Amino acid sequence: MTEAEQYICIGCPIGCPLRLEHEGDKIIEISGHDCDRGAKYAKQEFTEPRRDFSTTVAISGARWNRLPVKVNRQIHKDRVMEGARIIHELQVEAPVKLGQVLIKNVFGEEGIDVVACRTMDRVIS
Amino acid sequence: MSLKWKTINIQKPGKKFNILGHMEQAYDVVVIGGGPGGMGAALGARESGVARVLILDRESEPGGILLQCIHSGFGLHYFKEQLTGPEYAERFLNKVIDDNVKIMAGSYVSGIAVDSDGTKQVRVLSEDHGQVIVKTRAVVLSMGCRERTRGAIRIPGTRPSGVLTAGLAQKFVNMMGMLPGKRIAILGSGDIGLIMARRLMLEGCEVVGVFEYLPYSNGLTRNVVQCLEDFGIPLHLSTTVAYIHGRDRVERITVAPVEKDLKPDLSQARDIQCDTLLLSIGLIPENELSQSLGIRLDLITGGPWVSSTLETSMPGVFACGNVLHVHDLVDYVTRESLLAGRFAGEWAQGVRRPVDNIRLIPGDNVRYCVPHSLSTEREHTIYMRCKTVMQPCKIRVGNLMEKKLRFVVPAEMIMLKIKPHLLDKFHGDTLRIDILPEDA
Ligand SMILES: Cc1cc2nc3c(=O)[nH]c(=O)nc-3n(C[C@H](O)[C@H](O)[C@H](O)COP(=O)(O)OP(=O)(O)OC[C@H]3O[C@@H](n4cnc5c(N)ncnc54)[C@H](O)[C@@H]3O)c2cc1C
Ligand code: SF4
Repeated sequence: MTEAEQYICIGCPIGCPLRLEHEGDKIIEISGHDCDRGAKYAKQEFTEPRRDFSTTVAISGARWNRLPVKVNRQIHKDRVMEGARIIHELQVEAPVKLGQVLIKNVFGEEGIDVVACRTMDRVIS
Repeated sequence: MSLKWKTINIQKPGKKFNILGHMEQAYDVVVIGGGPGGMGAALGARESGVARVLILDRESEPGGILLQCIHSGFGLHYFKEQLTGPEYAERFLNKVIDDNVKIMAGSYVSGIAVDSDGTKQVRVLSEDHGQVIVKTRAVVLSMGCRERTRGAIRIPGTRPSGVLTAGLAQKFVNMMGMLPGKRIAILGSGDIGLIMARRLMLEGCEVVGVFEYLPYSNGLTRNVVQCLEDFGIPLHLSTTVAYIHGRDRVERITVAPVEKDLKPDLSQARDIQCDTLLLSIGLIPENELSQSLGIRLDLITGGPWVSSTLETSMPGVFACGNVLHVHDLVDYVTRESLLAGRFAGEWAQGVRRPVDNIRLIPGDNVRYCVPHSLSTEREHTIYMRCKTVMQPCKIRVGNLMEKKLRFVVPAEMIMLKIKPHLLDKFHGDTLRIDILPEDA
């Protein structure tokens, strides 16, 4: 049976409404795009929607209470909430360096790490 | 990296001056504000060949608004990489420090005075050194902008706690580790509001909806999709907050659709339970300092009126970044500020460029353009914003050139390059810029 998914293309401010028809996992037709980027985007969203993911973790001994962190690769959209839960458990202690790996292989998957987005020195209060 | 800017020593106030300290050291260029605008200007000034460049910032560390923007989306043009705000700031800061620019954080600039010989005296209230005066040849203003508050749009109702701007909430959540509330409504669909909706969801809050009085979102489509749709947060277009209820704390808000005249239709109003209302209703350049200097401001941008060298109406005082006009992309801030810094550095070295001979006039569907004038001697980049959505369309620059665009929206700044050979042929003294339908 043919089903359809709707997306809004994020490629440029025009925001074309995209329609992707599929049978199970098989893409039948993509329509609504004004340029190739839209078709590519719809395909990506259907097969594996990926997102940047950044958040903050608690840090002690630093100028601020929160340290900005990110996952060093885009992750599947459905993993964002799971990622947030795992990362929020983390407690770090200053000093931390920009790019320092805080959790290795965060989803048990090789190469997907949580890294610090800035340097935070130890502050003596 | 250690906090080098913390170790910079400024001479203690001399005894001769009782209240005002006196700095022996003078600078070529002093930059006010240490955000991406200020850092770019400092680098630009160093590039022009001046040695003594100082950045002053009132916060405890430089970086500006970027430090609280922990999402990615910065630096695609400049670093050719998607970076988060803090990463962009730190990379830039390292460049600035490596380039021997001095940075004084915890230093609030409370005034600028100009001597009869053109030297500027910058009055600084410094955490470490008290009140000091810094002397300099040229100044770059890069104080950024601030958010419009409830008062700016006069939302009726009580005055409970729990009504705050989205950017302030961003600092609370991302740096200080405090949540503004549990059930959150957001007024305004600009990018900051959208990004905060996702942030608060990830932090375990409930976001009941984003309300926008215009019929379209003011934010990037990417943010509407990835910050709202991904999390099932509803976006209510053509809807506004008509009343805020609650004695000590926000208890609920009344929302209503708006009619054509943008007034709420109260017959269709409904109440929504929430304990917090975030406002994402626009930014205003922070120009108290400029005003105290008597600098001419553009009433539309809210920033200084600048020539093609980004010099304000006060000779030797330049401006860039959000204090000049509100930017949506930090990469544009960087580009503009490098330029402002370069011209400020030149000025400090005594270079005086010919006065601009062409005034720019914003015409049809152009809300503003910056800079406000051009000279015929070099290439120019003009930044502008349109008044309304138009698709497809073209930009017409006097009778010099036309450029086709697929789409313009007020939320996205338009950048236009004008080559010197076009201006060579031009003999008028005003140049009008219009954005017109494609077939006009
Ligand atoms: C909340 C928010 C989210 C954004 N998200 C994005 C995004 O996702 N992608 C993107 O590309 N761009 C984004 N931007 C835009 C971009 O980050 C800004 O345009 C840019 O940071 C502006 O740089 P600036 O240096 O002009 O101002 P700021 O970064 O605001 O820096 C101004 C500095 O001046 C200092 N200052 C002000 N007055 C004084 C004084 N009197 N004395 C001393 N110091 C003073 C302030 O403390 C501040 O540090 C965002 C902007 C905001 C406000
Ligand atoms: S399909 Fe092409 S034109 Fe349409 S929104 Fe996407 S990038 Fe823009």
